[in-house]
Amino acid sequence: MFYIAIVLSILSGVTIVLSRMFNASLAKEIGLIQSTFFNFAVGWLFSVLFLIFSNEFTHLSFNTLVSAPIWAYFGGAVGVVVVSLSSYLSYKIPVFYLTLLLFIGQLFAGILIDFATLNQLSIGKVIGGIFIFIGLSYNLMQDYKKELDPSALISTEKL
Amino acid sequence: MISIFSVLVGGLISLMIMFNGSLANSLNNYTSNVIIHSVGLVALIFILIFNREQIKFKKNIPVYFYSGGAIGVFTVLFTNISFASLGITIPLALGLLGQSLASILIDHLGLMGGKVVKFQRKKCIGLLFILVGIVVMIAF
Repeated sequence: MFYIAIVLSILSGVTIVLSRMFNASLAKEIGLIQSTFFNFAVGWLFSVLFLIFSNEFTHLSFNTLVSAPIWAYFGGAVGVVVVSLSSYLSYKIPVFYLTLLLFIGQLFAGILIDFATLNQLSIGKVIGGIFIFIGLSYNLMQDYKKELDPSALISTEKL
Repeated sequence: MISIFSVLVGGLISLMIMFNGSLANSLNNYTSNVIIHSVGLVALIFILIFNREQIKFKKNIPVYFYSGGAIGVFTVLFTNISFASLGITIPLALGLLGQSLASILIDHLGLMGGKVVKFQRKKCIGLLFILVGIVVMIAF
């Protein structure tokens, strides 16, 4: 399970990039809220198809449907909030910073939640996170240098 | 101020992964995927009503433009399966590696109508740092 989870985690990064590309093209045509709506509507349709063809469908019961803690049902709504806020932010600050700042927030909240749920607080995650931060910002900088105007370089140094 | 706000939105993403992952632990993967998308859809319908916007279906754009949501189903599925055994932080790191590799490949080949941006060797340095970070996270 450990190795499958590792491969699936990497693949989730690939699917994020692909869906983001399609959603961005769609948003350009019909606007952000509209495109997010179609994103969830199409996703909903496919998730239902997946469920119907899975072995979970035959065992589906009301009791299992309500078996999770109440807060766990709000992930989809949080997802909508995240999509709208991050696209709002992408107009306010360069994507370069946004990517890094989102990563920092995700990392620290992730470490806290892992501590609460898995009961493990590892210094390795903090140190590993710093390495990833350096690698991520270095590569983002290479992209940034390509497009940018000199003024943007100055602002990069302010980081 | 806007920076702090961005960091908080990042935290929200981790919170979402925990919500979705916990739901999948209780309801199984495919059932929870339907619930997650249903709740998101309802939230969006509220936003649309609040903004007094109507759904417009444009016919003159390619159908594959609408496929982002179908791919997103896999993202939710993969993230939830990983959450069960790896939590949030390690899949986050691995996902970033996947994102970097996918973007580099798409840019290099100019896939999906994008312009060709050839791979810069310098980026191996960044990828190496990300890889080291992942190993440190898993090993310690």
